[in-house]
Amino acid sequence: MSEDRPATGPRQRIERLGAAALDGLAATGQLAGMLGATWRGVVRGRRPPGEVANQMFVVGNKSLLFVAVTLGFIGMVMVYQSCLQLERITGDLSRIGPEFLKLLVQDFGPTITALMLATRVGAGIAAEIGSMVVTEQVDALRMSGVTPIDYLIAPRFIACVVMGAVLTVFGVAIAYLAGGLTAWSSFDLNPRLFFDPSRVGFLDLGLGLTKTLCYGMAIPVISGACGLRARGGSEGVGAATTAAVIGSSLAVIALDLVISGVGLLLVGHGR
Amino acid sequence: MSAGAAPPRTIRFDDVWKSFGDKAVLCGMSLEIRPGEVMCIIGTSGVGKSVAIKLLIGLLRADRGEIRWGDLRLDSMSEPEMIPVRKRIGMVFQNATLFDSLSLAENVALPLRVHKGMRMREALAEARTRLDQVGMAEFAGRRPAELSDGMRKRAAIARTLTLDPEVVLFDEPTTGLDPVNARRIDRLIEKLSDDVGVTSIVVSHDLTTIFTIADRIAFLYQGRVHVCGTPAELRSSVDPVVQQFITGQSSGEMETPGF
Repeated sequence: MSEDRPATGPRQRIERLGAAALDGLAATGQLAGMLGATWRGVVRGRRPPGEVANQMFVVGNKSLLFVAVTLGFIGMVMVYQSCLQLERITGDLSRIGPEFLKLLVQDFGPTITALMLATRVGAGIAAEIGSMVVTEQVDALRMSGVTPIDYLIAPRFIACVVMGAVLTVFGVAIAYLAGGLTAWSSFDLNPRLFFDPSRVGFLDLGLGLTKTLCYGMAIPVISGACGLRARGGSEGVGAATTAAVIGSSLAVIALDLVISGVGLLLVGHGR
Repeated sequence: MSAGAAPPRTIRFDDVWKSFGDKAVLCGMSLEIRPGEVMCIIGTSGVGKSVAIKLLIGLLRADRGEIRWGDLRLDSMSEPEMIPVRKRIGMVFQNATLFDSLSLAENVALPLRVHKGMRMREALAEARTRLDQVGMAEFAGRRPAELSDGMRKRAAIARTLTLDPEVVLFDEPTTGLDPVNARRIDRLIEKLSDDVGVTSIVVSHDLTTIFTIADRIAFLYQGRVHVCGTPAELRSSVDPVVQQFITGQSSGEMETPGF
């Protein structure tokens, strides 16, 4: 057997896999450290006056239309498809509204809203902070005695947690309304049957709220970390922005899986 | 070690190494900067001039070697330990680095509020005084985006000087400026040294600036200080690499990465 064959044997593949796993663990550890530093920054409160309100406007008000359109369309499509299938199988559409609301509250509303925020807000955070890094503004902050996490990440963190929750409530309402209108206009379903919140309990609300808060914390921390790691010029900022969108979106999906799994274990699925 | 102890004096780089990935930038740089002098660091692009001053102030970490400021060992200090040092060593960045969301006065007031704990009103009043010293008082309420490069750079200098630092690091202070504004910055650096005794370390490619303001010049080449001396000594140096750099000849003994 030749000695100079390419290093693609099982051992090398396992080594690469191991290295990737270690990198992943190291990255998770760094993000956990940054989350801790961000919480300390939130508590210390050393941030520019009015910056939290400014970021709330950027995260919340400027995302309203985006969230409304996305959740509205998703609500319409989901209810339409569900009604179509149910009509073929049982013909009974009376439970579609309550079950749709339950699904929206505990899963779809928080997760789809967070995915929208991950793309719009996550990209914005990484691009803004990344630009500040490559133009040495972050170094200038450090020279001024300011901790960049306190000044840049903490206000965005507060804004994402608060406005993420507000946008989720708004998005759920829009999706539910759009679904109800679709069911009424396309399947002649009585709105009284559709708009029935009886299937939504405190556990569903708790699950949805937990997800909303976790997503609101994950998006600014991951995007901010990507921005702070930007190197070079515009290419580095572009790479940081892409990494922020991918990282935040993956985090939302992973958190959804974990929190839903824990929720299932705690409250069961037969309710 | 506390930065608030007896006033540190000489700055010393001793066998300092710094790499970025596979690329070695500083390879055993040693240099001594005396208190009150204007030391200019020159060399080709990418030779590590800006890296050296960022190592001094802890914005980058050295791989090896010692950086001392008097009794303080700067290279091993943590980020929180560097904060009091940064009250006494200021830096003017190449890109002015004013914060776009703040007015000039708010930019200049920021270090006063954070480092000195001043209230906003007090800090803004002090910031206006500092802006006046660099001829920028009338633009105190303007945002950086509304001003020219030269004006932004002067405001950045005012921000650095608000804390009355003992050492100021200038990274390409005259790059991108017209000759009139460049000479104004030169005069300001000279004045700081002559009137207040501030130690200045100036990284620059602008030979007019360097030969006007420098007490001594360190020529960085291949990651080390190749020659260090007064402007007259450098001008009269017979070293072919130094002569090639000073006269700006494209061909010669100097090895320039990428060409």
